[in-house]
Amino acid sequence: MSLQRQLIAIGFGDLDKSTRFLAAPELAGLDEDRLFEGLALAANPDLALQSLVRLIEKHPALHELAGAGTERSEPMFRLLGASEALAEFLMRHPQHIEVLAQRGTPEPRGADPAELRASLLRSVGADPAARRPVAAATGPEAYAALRTQYRRHLTELAIKDLCAASPVDFLPTAAAELADLAGAALEAALAVSRAELAAKEDPETVQSVRFTVIGMGKCGARELNYISDVDVIYVIEAPGLEEATAVRLGSALATGLSRAISAPGREPGLWEVDANLRPEGKDGPLVRTLESHLTYYKRWAASWEFQALLKARTVAGDAELGARYETAVAPMIWSSSEREGFVESVQAMRRRVTDYIPPNEEGRQIKLGVGGLRDVEFTVQLLQLVHAKADESLRCRDTTSAIAALSGQGYIGRSDAQELDRAYRYLRVLEHRIQLVQMRRTHLMPVAETALRALAKSSAGPMSAARPSAEALLENWQRTKRRVRELHESIFYRPLLNTAAHLSAEDVKLTPEAAQGRLAALGYRDPQGAIRHIEALTGGVSRRAALQRQLLPILLGWLADGVDPDAGLLGFRRISEALGTTHWYLGMLRDSKAAAERLCHVLSSSRLITDLLEVSPEATAWLGTDKDLTPLKFEAQWQEIRSKMSRHENPEAAMRLIRLIRRRETLRIAIADSSGLLDQDAVGAALADADQAAILGALHVAENIVRGDGELLAEVLVVAMGRQGGREIGYGSDADVLYVYRAKAGAEDTDARRQAEQIVARLSVLLTQPLKPAILNERVLTLDADLRPEGKSGAMVRSLDSYREYYQRWSLVWEAQALLRARPIAGSNELAEDFIRLIEPVRYPEHLEDKDVREVRRIKARVEAERLPRGADPARHLKLGRGAISDVEWLVQLLQLQHGRRHEELRTTSTVAALHACAGLGLIDRADAELLLEAWHLASRIRSANVIWSGKSSDLLPAKRRDLEAVARWCGYQPGQAAVIEEDYLRLTRRSRGVFERLFYGHA
Amino acid sequence: MDRQQEFVLRTIEERDVRFVRLWFTDVVGSLKSVALAPAEVEGAFEEGLGFDGSSIEGLARVFESDMLAQPDPSTFQILPWRGETEQTSRMFCDVLTPDGQPSAADPRNVLKRALAKAADMGFTCYTHPEIEFYLLKSTELGPDGAPVPVDEGGYFDHVPGGVAQDFRRTAVTMLESVGISVEFSHHEAGPGQNEIDLRYADALQTADNIMTFRTVIKEVALMQGTYATFMPKPFTAHPGSGMHTHFSLFEGDTNAFYEAGAEFQLSKTAKQFIAGILRHAPEFTAVTNQFVNSYKRLWGGGEAPSYLSWGHNNRSALVRVPLYKPGKGQSARIEYRGIDSAANPYLAYAVLLGAGLKGIEEGYDLPSAAEEDIWSLTSAERRAMGHDPLPSSLHDAIRIMEDSDLMAEILGEQVFEHFLRNKRQEWQDYRLEVTPFELQRHFGIL
Repeated sequence: MSLQRQLIAIGFGDLDKSTRFLAAPELAGLDEDRLFEGLALAANPDLALQSLVRLIEKHPALHELAGAGTERSEPMFRLLGASEALAEFLMRHPQHIEVLAQRGTPEPRGADPAELRASLLRSVGADPAARRPVAAATGPEAYAALRTQYRRHLTELAIKDLCAASPVDFLPTAAAELADLAGAALEAALAVSRAELAAKEDPETVQSVRFTVIGMGKCGARELNYISDVDVIYVIEAPGLEEATAVRLGSALATGLSRAISAPGREPGLWEVDANLRPEGKDGPLVRTLESHLTYYKRWAASWEFQALLKARTVAGDAELGARYETAVAPMIWSSSEREGFVESVQAMRRRVTDYIPPNEEGRQIKLGVGGLRDVEFTVQLLQLVHAKADESLRCRDTTSAIAALSGQGYIGRSDAQELDRAYRYLRVLEHRIQLVQMRRTHLMPVAETALRALAKSSAGPMSAARPSAEALLENWQRTKRRVRELHESIFYRPLLNTAAHLSAEDVKLTPEAAQGRLAALGYRDPQGAIRHIEALTGGVSRRAALQRQLLPILLGWLADGVDPDAGLLGFRRISEALGTTHWYLGMLRDSKAAAERLCHVLSSSRLITDLLEVSPEATAWLGTDKDLTPLKFEAQWQEIRSKMSRHENPEAAMRLIRLIRRRETLRIAIADSSGLLDQDAVGAALADADQAAILGALHVAENIVRGDGELLAEVLVVAMGRQGGREIGYGSDADVLYVYRAKAGAEDTDARRQAEQIVARLSVLLTQPLKPAILNERVLTLDADLRPEGKSGAMVRSLDSYREYYQRWSLVWEAQALLRARPIAGSNELAEDFIRLIEPVRYPEHLEDKDVREVRRIKARVEAERLPRGADPARHLKLGRGAISDVEWLVQLLQLQHGRRHEELRTTSTVAALHACAGLGLIDRADAELLLEAWHLASRIRSANVIWSGKSSDLLPAKRRDLEAVARWCGYQPGQAAVIEEDYLRLTRRSRGVFERLFYGHA
Repeated sequence: MDRQQEFVLRTIEERDVRFVRLWFTDVVGSLKSVALAPAEVEGAFEEGLGFDGSSIEGLARVFESDMLAQPDPSTFQILPWRGETEQTSRMFCDVLTPDGQPSAADPRNVLKRALAKAADMGFTCYTHPEIEFYLLKSTELGPDGAPVPVDEGGYFDHVPGGVAQDFRRTAVTMLESVGISVEFSHHEAGPGQNEIDLRYADALQTADNIMTFRTVIKEVALMQGTYATFMPKPFTAHPGSGMHTHFSLFEGDTNAFYEAGAEFQLSKTAKQFIAGILRHAPEFTAVTNQFVNSYKRLWGGGEAPSYLSWGHNNRSALVRVPLYKPGKGQSARIEYRGIDSAANPYLAYAVLLGAGLKGIEEGYDLPSAAEEDIWSLTSAERRAMGHDPLPSSLHDAIRIMEDSDLMAEILGEQVFEHFLRNKRQEWQDYRLEVTPFELQRHFGIL
């Protein structure tokens, strides 16, 4: 085998460089096979080789070990291949080279904490047996000694870790030893600090200060990383001294301690000692007496601070004082779930876990993000906080023990617990191996191929013979993350089911109180009710119940993400009861995760959709495919209506079908809207089409009724006005219309007119009258003809000639303005064309007189003063309020009246299109137009959201926080942004009002 | 219940407190007070005290008038002027919406938000106000239609046996007894005019203190049979009452305005802060000088600063950088001289701080310092040197503020709207009034 191929087989990455290193004089005389055998063990052979050459250069004695065969040299090769930083440590400190001769064992044990403590204390010349040890050495000398000894032990641990047969099994032991070693270093640093302070102050006074270091976070929980900030809190007590003196001396001790650990020096600092978790954070005093700590926690501490205390443990200094501290804070931790704001703080914490990852770390974070280490820790801690109040056996600090305790006591399922534990350990091992290389505090997956390959090898442990590829590593990591995510749901919610369904679950048993506590912590406001629904959904032996038992844990989590989880769960129960036995429903829930998630989302955030789904549960099927959620085109709906009408001669039956189709299409649009498939413009157009189809159908039915057995004497045309004319309506909008008729050839005009009036009257009734059986939860389509000539006192329907005459002789500018949005939607095509031809010169006049411009402005001003409902705040009225929908539309319409004749592109019934055209023609500044559009869209969107969320129309920006929250989410805001949307809306409309006043009224 | 609340309840028991007043402030800065029986205090801590906000200026939307006052137990204080028996106490309140969220319309919350923004940028803001007011014989006007001052003293005058001196002594003692530290007090330039300087404190506490201060001063005057007014300009002939305020920003325990060796020892941060204030001063003048009468002070001569300018120890400048003793870098600060004594302190401090922070954020350049006496320049000279005037009337100030996105952002859309509505109404009412000026000047001859 060529050298090259041999190198590749061993796992070398950079063959040229390694070939050069292999030729180094330091390696001369080594048995090549034995050397290669050793290098093959290294996670990163390139690195191991380079370090080896450099080490032999410094310590020629190593030459012998390198060639001694893997029996003896395995630890050395594994260490050099996994840690550049520790290799450099050995180069700096030849006296510790002997550590490489340490034998690796497949099942190593952790070092005795007392021995570590003694060893580090001795390194600075302090007596481990003393009650308050004082170092003999001080200053840089002492710091270097302490740090060197720490790193010596760290190297020993790394060797044990790297040689352990199963890194995941050894993980808790390694993490605990790292915490013990950190504690020992803090102890030695305290001894140094005492010695330094004693040189400046009265030694006896210094000695009388009792000083305890409480470890927080991972150090406190005995699950520390290879390198990490060590979180601490300091407690002091000095019975004979005044508090001020005691605090001064204590602070000096703390500062000295931190200096010994991390100040720059010949031997680099170990890690940051971080005391920011102390009461009042970085603004608070560095040290406090026990009394002062407790006062703070009783009076001031926020919810999260108690959660942080869950990890608190005495790690150095006065053990007796530390024990009193731990005893005193414990009850506060475990009752924290009863504190006000607990649920909110949990939700905020959860968002912090999953939300914020800097963009350049996306996809590389092991610690943060969904399925990361934090996610596991969060899950475990939350369960501890909820259940440990009643069950003391859960009161442990570290994650692996907590998982075991939760599983042992039946709070989470045994196999779930095992999986979670395995995932956690795996992620931690990855993190450890990554940190070990450079001893840098990082939680990011490496990018370089070589680094990934080395990580794959070192994290797999010595038992895996093959070199795993980088892809395999990444794949495994992704799979673990996904699994953690899934486990989250089954761990939180599955046990609830067992309780609710009274199952004699093999391993999980929650009391009803524990189950309710857990639901409340997750955001359910009525946990008792929720339990009842869960009972109803999962009880019994039906296939449905069995499937729901399986699915509900995930669904409960999704429902809890909505604004109203309780309503969502109730809605789910109703739909499930209606559909329970249909095979596709169960199949969809089981097979389509996206559909089930959408269902939970709409049920917990939309009254409108929940109501409609309840009466037409079969529509739930649409959730499964985006194809079914594409709004039907008008033509397709009309096709369907026509074929239904031909089969149902009975007008009532036909009308019923037409109205059911409209209800169905409204639901389809709402679901598509909720799934993010439609923007606000598309929603408006789709709803307008559905209404148009219904009106057209109703017109045909009305004509048939009125004709009876006789002849049809008149053609009738329905012309949409207002927002329906512009295809910009919302859920449940009225339709503004005009009616036009023309006598058929040979018919008397009076007869034709009478018949047209009958048809029109019937049309309106057909769309609104109650039917038997009733159409439940229908939002009835009301036709409103108030915009007709002469308004309410005018004739309901006019002939084409009558319109012509009227507009020529009487027309007022507001009528011309109303005609801007006229769009024929039902009736004969010829009549429609003639009508449009007739109104064209009216709505797009050759020249708009100044007096007409003034009149439009005057009417608008009066509308502003009069139309707003009594007591409504103009700033919050979405339609008539300042800078809202009506302002934007009036401005656009004025410009259309003025310039429509000359510019074809302005001749549209759509506000959005006309506004774009105005900007294109330079009639409105581009930036102003953007602002107006944005305000118009947001106001329209909020109106729609009001209906979707509450099932009721409202023209006001909601005032209640919960309504606002729901509406904000429907408008695309993140959870918790109710106040933001309120502020955004008010700002946007204030500005658009400014533009409006300038352009419409001509105010400077 | 936390310890602070327990302390309040215990004090109420032990000191036989008969009334507890809950204080909050409306949008124009009037103090509002609701009295509670001691038995109701515990409930108020737990659930807040419901009240009808619609009758309070700018506090509630008309259709949603139920509000909650949530007492802040750390502000509990016995009111000394109510005597030793049957004592009365007060607590400041945060105003909450019915669902327990901070009300966007609560001025105290506006300032809290501004301070939170400063904290996000790493700053704590300290302020120190010098509050001027007039001491009058009574609320009755004299025969000439002007108020009647208690004395005829001038700046720093010691008026023997003076009512004012006695007054200041009592007032200072009483202020100290409600926990407000007084730095300095002296007779001001106008007859009966006094100035009391409060010790510096963080901006929210200062604003609370100013509200208490005004009450204490008014109460002490009443006890002595006189009347105290914070009206910006009660006399045509005498100087108005200003509330010059010193601002400093700290980063941790370092004064962020100080830089050894720089011009006037002013750090870049301080220069940008001043630049922010100067650039936006016309926009926030409606807040710092919120009444029709305020503009009589601004444009009535005396020491009132009416042009955009800054200077080192220049008493004619709008922003003054005071001299401080060498080596006292921690006391580096700037003084804004535009605010008058009747401003709503919460809003005034919020807009000044907000404008200054904007200057820091955007890195505004500071024009050069004014060394000359700005009042002695001709208006053409002032224009040439870039000393633009502040708004000349409430009407001007409103018009400028209406167009300010920055003010809307600092105050929040809701307070911004309410405030402007209130001020427009005031201007409207004023415009309709036939004034003594018109009668004197024209009535006899027309």
